[in-house]
Amino acid sequence: MTYQAITLDTVDSTMAEAARRMEAVTGPTWIMARQQTEARGRRGRAWSMPPGNFAATLILPLSDPPDRAALRSFVAALALADAFAATTGRTDPFTLKWPNDVLLNGGKVAGILLERHGLTSPLLIGIGVNLATAPGVGEVEARAARPVALASATGTTIALEDFLDALAPAFATREDAFRTYGFDPIRTAWLARAARLGEVITARTATSETTGTFDTVDNQGCLVLNTAKGRVTIPAADVYF
Amino acid sequence: MAQKRQDADVAFIEALARVLRDNDLTEIEVDREFGDNDSLSVRVARGGAVVQTVTSAPVAAAAPAAPAAPAAASAPAPAASSDDPADLPGAVTSPMVGTVYLQAEPGNPPFVKVGDKVSEGDTILIVEAMKTMNQIPAPHSGTVQRILVEDGAPVEFGAPLMVIA
Repeated sequence: MTYQAITLDTVDSTMAEAARRMEAVTGPTWIMARQQTEARGRRGRAWSMPPGNFAATLILPLSDPPDRAALRSFVAALALADAFAATTGRTDPFTLKWPNDVLLNGGKVAGILLERHGLTSPLLIGIGVNLATAPGVGEVEARAARPVALASATGTTIALEDFLDALAPAFATREDAFRTYGFDPIRTAWLARAARLGEVITARTATSETTGTFDTVDNQGCLVLNTAKGRVTIPAADVYF
Repeated sequence: MAQKRQDADVAFIEALARVLRDNDLTEIEVDREFGDNDSLSVRVARGGAVVQTVTSAPVAAAAPAAPAAPAAASAPAPAASSDDPADLPGAVTSPMVGTVYLQAEPGNPPFVKVGDKVSEGDTILIVEAMKTMNQIPAPHSGTVQRILVEDGAPVEFGAPLMVIA
């Protein structure tokens, strides 16, 4: 499958731009922007994007049902970790937090946002990376992981285009594996990089909070915690360490 | 969900009883149509008369006639309901396990409200799983009769979300 890439100087957000273009694309297409005027995160959370940081959305045409499409959270997180490994030459400082956070020295270096605007629409995978600058601690939620930047934490300075040149093939490789072999190899590779496996973590939703030992991710992608009340399987939550 | 509807019905009957008492009436009869094959008929009376409720789906059993007014305490007993809202005509069910959001983002107005007319394909809510936000489209055009889930609630695959008829 051929992946296209489009680079723009300024957009409101790459997610919005991708949504406007998604019906017109003929295959997987990355939309990258040097600047976003209305960058956003999940559920309307603000996403701070200083100059030199990376923002792109992949338009991924799919016919998968929504439960299978959602497993792209893991595909995207792994691909991003691969891209970090390729550009920094290191794997040890990068770990994964369920389902799609990539951590650098335990801090938040990137954000991944997945949206689908209809049951048969393309999946939009937005990826923002603090390549150059991390937002201040005051700009993130109190319990969120501390923001970090690739440049200061690893000494690697990389141009936006070069980062996309690492990320796009990394995603294509993981996506091919997913389409050919299913979730199993993705799940195994994800677990091998998971932070806090076997340790106590907290999963919080709008209506509940579950604390337990992080046992695994099941074959549906759900977070599995062993709690005082037994084994709990969680399809949607924010994880806190 | 049947329990929630039943609670709503009880609250409605209690409100009728208050209207009856506050206005010194002897009898009120109300028929409510929620949708095809989904209605509530209530007659509340004072002075030794009976309270009658007849509920079609989703609460199965008609309430036993209660001997005394006001009606409040004599609402339908919990019924071993076999009705499944997912089987209601016009029911929209969840295509996945996840968390429901009724608006695009916190602070925004909901995608739809009861009574709204929607066209096939209009986004009616979001189901999130694995941090993937799935906008769920109306599978057919119609009027939103009922919203069966609360914002932020977990849903199972196949769970009824709304009734659009």
